Amino acid sequence: MNVNQLKKFGFAMTAVVGMSVAGQISAQTADELINDNSDPSTILTYGLGYGQQRHSALDKINVDNVSKLRPAWVYSLADTRGQESFPMIYDGVMYVTTHKSTMALDALTGRQLWKSVIEYPAETPRVACCGIVNRGVALYNGMVYRTTLDAHVIALDMKTGEEVWRTKSIDYKDGYSMTVAPMMADGVLITGISGGEYGIRGYLEGYDPATGARLWRTYTIPAPGEPGSETWKDGGDAWERGGAPTWLTGSYDPELNLVFWGTGNPASWNAGLRPGDNLYASSILALDPKTGSIEWHYQTSPNDPFDYDTTNELVHATIGGTDVLMQANRNGFFYVLERATGKLMAANTFVDKVTWADGIDMETGRPMDTEVATKARTGEEVTYWPSAFGGKNWSPMAYNPDTQTAFVNTLNIGMNYKAVEPQYRPGVFYFGAEFSWDWPAEGQPRGILRAIDPMTGETKWEDGTAIPRLGGVLSTAGNLVFTGAQTGEFEAFNADTGEKVWEFNTGSGIVGQPVTWEMNGTQYVTIVNGIGAVYALFSGDERLASIPPGGNVWTFALVE
Amino acid sequence: MLKKIAASLCFLALFGAPVFAQDFDLNKAKRVYKDFCSHCHGIDMKNAGNSSYDLRKFPKDQKDRFYTSVNKGKGDMPAWGDVLLPEELDLLWDYVVSRGGKEPLPKDQARAPVTDDSEQTEQHSSLTVTPGTLTACLAKNGGVMSSRRAKGGAGLDYELVAALADRMGLALAIEWFESEQEEESTPIREIYAMLAYEVCDVIPGFALYETSLSAFYKTRAALPRYDNRPEHLGREFQVDLEPISVSNPYARMEMGVVYRTPEFEREITKVADMQGLRIGVEQGTLAGVLTLRQGTDQMTQDSITLNPGADFLWKMEQGEFDAALVTIGAYDFHKKQNFVSTLALDEYRHPIGFNLSVAMLKRRRDLLDQMDPIIDGMVADGAMAALAEKSKVTYSAPFEPWVQKHLTMRDILLTR
Repeated sequence: MNVNQLKKFGFAMTAVVGMSVAGQISAQTADELINDNSDPSTILTYGLGYGQQRHSALDKINVDNVSKLRPAWVYSLADTRGQESFPMIYDGVMYVTTHKSTMALDALTGRQLWKSVIEYPAETPRVACCGIVNRGVALYNGMVYRTTLDAHVIALDMKTGEEVWRTKSIDYKDGYSMTVAPMMADGVLITGISGGEYGIRGYLEGYDPATGARLWRTYTIPAPGEPGSETWKDGGDAWERGGAPTWLTGSYDPELNLVFWGTGNPASWNAGLRPGDNLYASSILALDPKTGSIEWHYQTSPNDPFDYDTTNELVHATIGGTDVLMQANRNGFFYVLERATGKLMAANTFVDKVTWADGIDMETGRPMDTEVATKARTGEEVTYWPSAFGGKNWSPMAYNPDTQTAFVNTLNIGMNYKAVEPQYRPGVFYFGAEFSWDWPAEGQPRGILRAIDPMTGETKWEDGTAIPRLGGVLSTAGNLVFTGAQTGEFEAFNADTGEKVWEFNTGSGIVGQPVTWEMNGTQYVTIVNGIGAVYALFSGDERLASIPPGGNVWTFALVE
Repeated sequence: MLKKIAASLCFLALFGAPVFAQDFDLNKAKRVYKDFCSHCHGIDMKNAGNSSYDLRKFPKDQKDRFYTSVNKGKGDMPAWGDVLLPEELDLLWDYVVSRGGKEPLPKDQARAPVTDDSEQTEQHSSLTVTPGTLTACLAKNGGVMSSRRAKGGAGLDYELVAALADRMGLALAIEWFESEQEEESTPIREIYAMLAYEVCDVIPGFALYETSLSAFYKTRAALPRYDNRPEHLGREFQVDLEPISVSNPYARMEMGVVYRTPEFEREITKVADMQGLRIGVEQGTLAGVLTLRQGTDQMTQDSITLNPGADFLWKMEQGEFDAALVTIGAYDFHKKQNFVSTLALDEYRHPIGFNLSVAMLKRRRDLLDQMDPIIDGMVADGAMAALAEKSKVTYSAPFEPWVQKHLTMRDILLTR
């Protein structure tokens, strides 16, 4: 079957599927969410399953035939901002987002079924530190949920795209914004907030998915007197602007009934002005989805001066019989925690150069700071690795449970840094630091895709690039690892060897999240492209000048 | 060792001095740029240019375009006019046209070197904003105090600044603004904003209340509409306020009782003496409040409350009420607008009033020093009263205390 035949077939099938389930479109349930990744024709959870492994058991596309992978369709997002949307699929319909619209597409043809435009005040981009992006939707009970840049949570009718409810989370003018894909857990719609560089006070929120009523809000920085407030020793009001945003989607363990969510850096970066550990900034939190209460926490970077967010995805795995959470942290360490308790099981560096800590004390779980960290806190000029971009930035990793290997887009960049007195003004950057990048030597890669052993942090294979990759990674049972380059190539690697086995130039840089799915016996791979986001904006890397902006949804299938 | 040298070179680039001395505060400009612009236009303006404008290419001769784009936004770029301070915008422009401090400012845009605050003050110590000219801000809708004419203006405040300019040997320029406020409530914040933005040197008609003299320093305020207001300043644009100084007073604003000639025969020594007449109450004004608070219950029952403004006295002219306590300026304006009038002003003056002075920035001390003796002389020798007569203003000379404490409820109840 060639691509054209595929398309025809797709049209026909969609019509049939559409008719057969009309009237029961609200069928996706909590059980379906929990069992996502078992039905290959659906993608219902951010990260391909509540555990965010981004691993698919599909193997029709595999290392032997991937050279025949060709575009099946492409859909223009009509937008020039960075595109990070995670595509979801239900009932033959794909749901993707940009910062200014939500789209439903026929998954087999890319034909637009509806497009729902988001309007937000023109001033909102002022408070988006690192790119005007949106990371996707949550699907539940006939509704499509998403967040907006001006910090609203909205629900759309899955069939029509019409807005069912809209709840304002908070005033964007004070530096708050939302780019996060929300998550449904235990009947509660959970969202995070962005704004760690604007002196916000971070939080997580639970909403009633039916009405949009806010059920709870848990601040990630305690108020004076609340548990954890003793870790803010400045004696003043630093906590009010203490940061700890929650800008990437968490994970969920239905058996433990715990939601796991990482928090961002404390604000400002000037750690000397907020003595103490500054809970719950740069921490991993386990929460009760019904109430938002914090069941346990683990802080990776106490009193962080380096912008080491701990927001990166928390991937579930079972290692040596223990259910664990894994995170490749911005700070250069790969953490493995016992999922039920937060107990530290391993924390090893996964990048070559970490200068701020000599290691993590396995007894206390605390980093062993080097002189670089001490000096940074007292306002001396330092160079530290990894930079504020992190050893790994937001770009979600994949984990193959069969080979117990994580596939991670890592960064090889340092930072020149000096803490200075911050100036607070609502909705304006609140860095409290002067900084510039410390690039690796000429000819050395700025980014390295690595296959990593989670327990040791050791690299099994690597693929370095002059311009770092900042997109997500996908692992498949076809012995493949998919990711994309900021220079536009959508790429596939041999998962065993790291050999690049396929690439396709999508025409704009990729910072999106690849997914794979199967419908009517055909396996597809989908990626959203469109250059933008933190590296393109902040690096000043002029080699990207020849990469045009403009987002598209690309879907690939094998040609016969 | 090599590594060490490399590291220190790196810091030189990051924190060190520019290659040559700039005549603006480059470090501050860098910080402003980073805080407001870097997340779209790149650190140090380095930007691949594929989605945001490459500021290193911004034409050096298009300053207006730059200010307009930053203040109002352009395309995908949000407007910053409501959060950027004027001096921050200036620094951004310097930063952009100097290409991040790598090139000197274009000759015509070089500004006096800025070192610290005290020197900055010195730099601005020229007598007036435009050398050789006294620029005054006057309200277009200022009643008998100021109004615009096809050529020049009229009103006591206009006559005053004309006389001041003349006696100081300066040319006169007027910046006409539109105050949104009621006549009675002085738009103090607008006055502060216009002075701080250097729209003009002086603004007459400044009511001498203690609270007006200190309250607004270190806050910000919007500018009113004025004729030469630059296109690129959005309505939301706000000015950082500066401390001001005021001249010695030149007149006093007072309240008196206005009545309809035929119905009125009595001696007035206090508000309550109007009892028995149909009283008009000007809603939301001090005079209106005093009428209700200091009148008798019977008076309140016999009163009607009407909207403030020129229409109020016209209603009285039409016979809707017989007497009212109003500001004398309002009466003067009514008489000026209505040549045929049955209204008259009683000799009684309410003890609550305030002196009027000329406001200017505190750092224009030299201007103040020249102005005060002229004003004192004009008040003393009758020149001021003559200007008032020419302007059809019922003149009251100022008296002490020159600066009034702000009114309290106690004043409103008991000062009668």
